[in-house]
Amino acid sequence: MGSMTKNKALRWAVPIGVVAVVSAVAGFSQLASAQPDLPKRSASQLLMDLEQARLDPLSGTIVQRADLGLPPMPGASSELSSMISGTHTLRIWYGGQDKVRLALLGTLGESDVIRNGKDLWIWSSQQNKATHYDVPADSKPSFTDPKELPKTPQEAADAILGALDPTTVVSTGGQVKVAGRPAYELILAPRDRASLVGSVRLAIDGDKHVPLRVQVFSKNAASPAFEVGFQQISFDKPGEEHFQFKPPAGVQNVPGKEDKEEEPGRRELEPKIVGTGWTSVLTAKVDVKKEAPGLLGSLGTQASGSWGTGRVISSKLFSVLITDDGRLFAGAVAPEKLYEVASK
Amino acid sequence: MSVASLAGTGRFFRSELLLIFGRRRNWLGLAILAVVPVIIAVAAKVNAPGEDEGGFFGGITTNGLFVALAALSVELGFFLPLAISTIAGDAVAGEANQGTLRYLLTVPVHRTRLIAVKFAALVVFAATAVLTVVGTGMIAGLLLFGGGKMTLLSGTEIGFWGGLGRVAMVSGYAAVCLSALAAIGLFVSTLTEQPIGAGIAVLILYIVSQILDTIPQLSAIGPYLPTHYWFAFGDLLRDPVSFNSAGPGLLSAGIYTLIFTTAAWARFATKDVTS
Repeated sequence: MGSMTKNKALRWAVPIGVVAVVSAVAGFSQLASAQPDLPKRSASQLLMDLEQARLDPLSGTIVQRADLGLPPMPGASSELSSMISGTHTLRIWYGGQDKVRLALLGTLGESDVIRNGKDLWIWSSQQNKATHYDVPADSKPSFTDPKELPKTPQEAADAILGALDPTTVVSTGGQVKVAGRPAYELILAPRDRASLVGSVRLAIDGDKHVPLRVQVFSKNAASPAFEVGFQQISFDKPGEEHFQFKPPAGVQNVPGKEDKEEEPGRRELEPKIVGTGWTSVLTAKVDVKKEAPGLLGSLGTQASGSWGTGRVISSKLFSVLITDDGRLFAGAVAPEKLYEVASK
Repeated sequence: MSVASLAGTGRFFRSELLLIFGRRRNWLGLAILAVVPVIIAVAAKVNAPGEDEGGFFGGITTNGLFVALAALSVELGFFLPLAISTIAGDAVAGEANQGTLRYLLTVPVHRTRLIAVKFAALVVFAATAVLTVVGTGMIAGLLLFGGGKMTLLSGTEIGFWGGLGRVAMVSGYAAVCLSALAAIGLFVSTLTEQPIGAGIAVLILYIVSQILDTIPQLSAIGPYLPTHYWFAFGDLLRDPVSFNSAGPGLLSAGIYTLIFTTAAWARFATKDVTS
């Protein structure tokens, strides 16, 4: 009887074994993904690879994470404006310059941006709305995101490389695996220590030389404040059906022209750049009554100084100041630097 | 397994189903589950959601199938887990409480088989509960709004039968998730002789898991919570179908089911049945 009870107590080994196996498999898959072995390449070689890389047709899943120290945006997870905080998953199909589909996956919703030739559609399942824009057939795809955050690694890398100048230290990191593919890492760090940005890390595919991941670290932070990268990627040409969009019956179908014409006053509010490199500050005139109830109203805090009073958003990577008399200052710097510019 | 014992298992399984579906209180529970889709359909008929209303509720007026999806997304939050927790908590503890467990074991039923049959019956109940919600939702929706093309989350329209297929996939996914909760419930049920206590404990586990999942600071543990992927069934309504979250969801449900059915089996084998 004693051995019987003992044998039966041994049964606990089964559920415990299941837990052990699951955690072992999870742990091992993380360990195994850390050992790529690519021939060495210098930082400048990598930069050139990037510049010469032709973006072949591809499809895949992109995960974007923002940990900017901002509160989550109110609203559904599938809305484009929610992307400034939290984790978001996008599906991408890229068939060439004029055939792109991006889908932002929310829990029970989805927003799609579909470019096919001269048609650009923006679909929102939460708003049950399809918006159509006409684009000249030869123009580059433009995703009119309200926050203008780069959504594909290529877009993000282009934006950063455009900003590259003598203000930046460029170096290589170790080799990493992104979306199961071995990749080089290129590290860009601002020389100016006043910038909130600590470094920008680009993972560049070892074979195709396209950016697979972009991470932006704030100063003294071990984990990225902003990250966009492929979770899964395939270089097979995606089928034509992904780029076909016909607005479903019974939804609002809006031609997306009017909101540009709606604000004729916008033209005179040309933004200016003060300073250079990583610590440059963007200044602009804004209509406070129009902007304040929006993003700033929900994220900003009240601030005042010799420059007057206003609202300020302070995140890990950038700060934005809007004064009550309608001036906007933004940059990858601490709010103090913005106050300094504002009081001039 | 010999033919005789196979037949015995079949008989036992049938009597187990009779135990669950023969009870008036369980019928009442299913009836409550069925009321919600009817309310949703009637409400949408009386006061149609606006054109700019998205999601499942917005789709109801164009396709009755959306009543089923809207009802499922509402009930998966509380009513369905409540039903599963109650029945699963009752599975072993209920019999122990009424003193029937002792008799069940004297008719030589192997304890392993007893746990297996109990779990199989719970899976049948989970599927029935989901079908009750989805079925009444579809009937009410199609009667009031008719069928037709279904607009997927990606903005693509598919035909009625395709839409029906998607609803079936969503139902299957929900049933798998609820079965994992049933496995946890079965284990809890072997720990006590108080069926109500077991049911409440499972419901509390469910709610705590949901709450932890919404705390941004705890997002690192989110994917390991049993309920994290429950609403990932939206993935099955995209074009093309995505398994980005639904895949891990099925895996997570499978792992939880395996851990807790074997834990229930281990616990029940060593349990002293005195009452």
